Amino acid sequence: MKEFRFRLILILGAIALSLYLLWPTFQDYRNSKHTSEILSEKEKQIKEANPKISKDNLKDLLNIVEDSIKLADPSILENRQQRVKLGLDLQGGMRVVLEVNTAKLLEKIAKNPDDTFKKVLNDATAESNLSDESVVDIFGRIMNQRDIRISRYFGRITQDDDEILDKLKQDAEDAVARAMEIIRNRVDQYGVSEPSIQRQGTRRIIVELPGVAKEEEAKQLLQGTALLEFRLVKEPEFAYSVMERIDNVLAGKTLEDTTASDTTTAETASADTTLAENDTTQQQLSEEEFKKQHPFFAVVGLNTESGSADGYVLDKNKENVQRMLNRPDVQNAIPNNIEFLFSAKSFTTQDGQSFFTLYMVNKEPELTGGVITDAIATIDQMSSNWIVSMEMNGEGATQWARITGANVDKRIAIILDGVVFSAPVVRNKITGGRSQIEGMAGASEAKLLEIVLKAGALPAPVDIIEERTVGPSLGQDSINSGFMSALLGYIFVGAFMIFWYRKSGSIAALSLTFSVLFILGILAGFKATLTLPGIAGIILTIGMAVDANVLIFERIREELATGKTMKAAIDSGFAKAYSAIIDSNITTFFTGLILYQFGTGPIQGFALTLMIGIVASLFSALVIVRVMANMLVAKGVKLTIG
Amino acid sequence: MRIFENLNFDFLGKRKTFYMVSALLFLIGVLGIIVRGFHFGIDFQGGTEIVLQFEKPVSVAEMRGYVENIGLGNVELKTFGGETGILVRTELQQVPKAIYPQVLDNIEKEINKTYPGLPYQIVDSSATSVTFSFPNPDTTNALVDKLFESGFQTGKISEEPDNRQMVARVGIADWIKINLRDKMQDNPFQVLREEQVGPKIGKELKQDAVVAVLMSLLVILIYLGFRFKFIFAVGAVVALFHDVLITIGLYAALYDILPINLEIDLTVVAAFLTLVGYSINDTVIVFDRVRENLKIHKTKPLLEIMNMSINKTMSRTILTGGTTLITVFILLMLGGDVLRAFAFTLFFGIIIGTYSSIFVASALVLEYAQRSKKKFTF
Repeated sequence: MKEFRFRLILILGAIALSLYLLWPTFQDYRNSKHTSEILSEKEKQIKEANPKISKDNLKDLLNIVEDSIKLADPSILENRQQRVKLGLDLQGGMRVVLEVNTAKLLEKIAKNPDDTFKKVLNDATAESNLSDESVVDIFGRIMNQRDIRISRYFGRITQDDDEILDKLKQDAEDAVARAMEIIRNRVDQYGVSEPSIQRQGTRRIIVELPGVAKEEEAKQLLQGTALLEFRLVKEPEFAYSVMERIDNVLAGKTLEDTTASDTTTAETASADTTLAENDTTQQQLSEEEFKKQHPFFAVVGLNTESGSADGYVLDKNKENVQRMLNRPDVQNAIPNNIEFLFSAKSFTTQDGQSFFTLYMVNKEPELTGGVITDAIATIDQMSSNWIVSMEMNGEGATQWARITGANVDKRIAIILDGVVFSAPVVRNKITGGRSQIEGMAGASEAKLLEIVLKAGALPAPVDIIEERTVGPSLGQDSINSGFMSALLGYIFVGAFMIFWYRKSGSIAALSLTFSVLFILGILAGFKATLTLPGIAGIILTIGMAVDANVLIFERIREELATGKTMKAAIDSGFAKAYSAIIDSNITTFFTGLILYQFGTGPIQGFALTLMIGIVASLFSALVIVRVMANMLVAKGVKLTIG
Repeated sequence: MRIFENLNFDFLGKRKTFYMVSALLFLIGVLGIIVRGFHFGIDFQGGTEIVLQFEKPVSVAEMRGYVENIGLGNVELKTFGGETGILVRTELQQVPKAIYPQVLDNIEKEINKTYPGLPYQIVDSSATSVTFSFPNPDTTNALVDKLFESGFQTGKISEEPDNRQMVARVGIADWIKINLRDKMQDNPFQVLREEQVGPKIGKELKQDAVVAVLMSLLVILIYLGFRFKFIFAVGAVVALFHDVLITIGLYAALYDILPINLEIDLTVVAAFLTLVGYSINDTVIVFDRVRENLKIHKTKPLLEIMNMSINKTMSRTILTGGTTLITVFILLMLGGDVLRAFAFTLFFGIIIGTYSSIFVASALVLEYAQRSKKKFTF
């Protein structure tokens, strides 16, 4: 047995690893079954208690139940994240390809879009539909042909055409980045799980929203408009007192005394002392007890030294905190004119945990982004740090001077579609409309803020050029029929192998099970997506996987016919079949690779399973079957090969 | 169980007969392509397609009556997956100019219904959207929501609080849905699938698909050139061409004759590439045996060696082909509408691929060797 030890360990290791990788998928399947059982039970109860309940109300109630189930067991979310991902065609959802409408953008930023301009632009658009040339290039050429200088509409009079055209091209590219940021921001808030937003080429954006049932609603997300607001961040003392009230509500304490003392002066004093008190109690209480007594502060951390009352919320707790804040009793404890908003991006601490910042801001904006005329990220000459300069139009500048003047040393949050991107402190009154925002961590942060500031003023007009939506029921049907086909295929092929090759065939049939297990395990391990053509790939692999076995077994038969012993026949059978198996599989693997390059979404899923299937079935045939055959022979079992 | 154990058939001696068979299949295919042309699916052709699932059974004829008069010209209707599913497709991606006013009128009627007598202006209109301007921000917001609820695709032009403009999308799918919702009020539907592909994407995809197939042939040519002799690689690739062309020809010839939707779409291209991968498998295994036998029997004529190799590998060829065909057949039967064309392509492709690895790839190498009086040594 010693000679097999290494290979046995390898095989068992591969099987164990696959099972380990597939465990979350299995758990997720059980969880979702469990959850849907509870939900349908609950639905029945609610309907019995209140037969006239409207569809929307029922849905809201059920959502609360679902949320509480998820809240109670964090492993549900973890399993969901680690399961084999299903493609849009299986779980339903939409895939949209957007293209920035350059013509519309040009019209928006032109100085005086008169009729001549519109005519040229229309001609350019029509031409661009037929060619690969960019609208800006065509526009420039037509203007040139008609002897009109581009500076009449864009840029300054002193600039020559090429210079302006380059700038316009840059604007068009910027618009793509802007649209992506706007859409990402919105999609994140809409609560789509595992969205994917990718840039394709220079002008296109591919958005994939799995599990979106209401495609019309989702389509509304995909517009290039966004609301940029400047809102005051509440002072720390005030913010802390509100947070404390929320904490009390969540802990189930009555809050008459805290609500009664709503005067700011008293509040300030008491807040300071409780802040200190809180620190000491925190040390005394065990973690468990602290969680019970301070459910809010258990998940929202504060930094008492920073002089702000920004909350820090762990990545994984973000949804929980949002749910806490949405509770009606908590909402009652929060004054009407303020709200909590999260930061758009999380930051990572040195020990690898990532946190979102929770800001308390005024509901009413001081100013909205329409007044911004330009924003640019640059390196400050003096400090050589990244800064963002922002310019406003006349009307905006006047208001901005008033706002900044009244709020020196306070913080103003820059909010795009309800998410905070930055919350700089006002140093002094800003007149003239030119502001500088400092304290950027790096180029990417500065660039992002530039995009965000521009997004408020300039829409990024996008057109949907391709759209595919699959409803959830069609996806479920596909999963069922795919599963059915795979099972039937496996039974037929396995039975055939056993019938044809007897005991050797049983080994091959068993190794087929491992092949399928490996394919799924590798898919889970690579976080790859299983699509309907992917399932077809697995089914096809079941049929093709036996090829290596057939080749080997046929060879062994030939070797046996020359009078060799079983052991010798197995060895030379494997050895001789080797080159054919490797050559034929490598060529198939290449076509899989090319398919992967060419395809999108579902087709890539197919190519991937095809390639993984080749690797898995080769391992099964060349390692597993061989070890099993050798071991059986070594043990003295009479191995039959039909 | 064994088959063909001591098979000794002069395959290559009969190659002239098989040339005729190939030529005939080829001819059918080419005729099919010339006479009937290719039918591309929405992936390549561009257009709009929606699949609707009704609550109660619907008849295609009744539905056709409803969508024929909404001005979209030639609208294709099919059942989808049962009596309650309907697939509606048109080649159009944009609402045609002739009915644009009608669609616009529909939106305006809805505005008037919501706020009778509300003054508004149309500030911009393009092929795919109309932008309205209203007197104040509140009515604008309310209208955006109201129209959205009634099935129109509406949105605000900007999120600024003083925004007074609403953009309403004018899309084919929206137009079809609005019309059907109106006429089928007692039989509501939900959208199972909705696809819209612009003409540019279709053009790009067609190029990509051709490039992908050619690329895979090239890679195979190079790899086999290294592992065998160059002429073996050429034989294999010609055999692949043969397979792809005949299958694609069959496709054109059988379109609309079989109860399967034989349109060329992305999955079918995937099937073709898989076919290339499978068929080369077969060829390589025969060649591998030829290579081996050439090493052992140095004096025998090539024809005999090739015949011997084909005969020896025949049981494997049939068995693997058989198991793969079983699974593909199951897929054809149970895989559902989406995978049917894919399975069909593979089903025929595998049969033709198996045939070609014997009668095309090997025969070509033999012809070359006999003409050039060359001897291969490995």
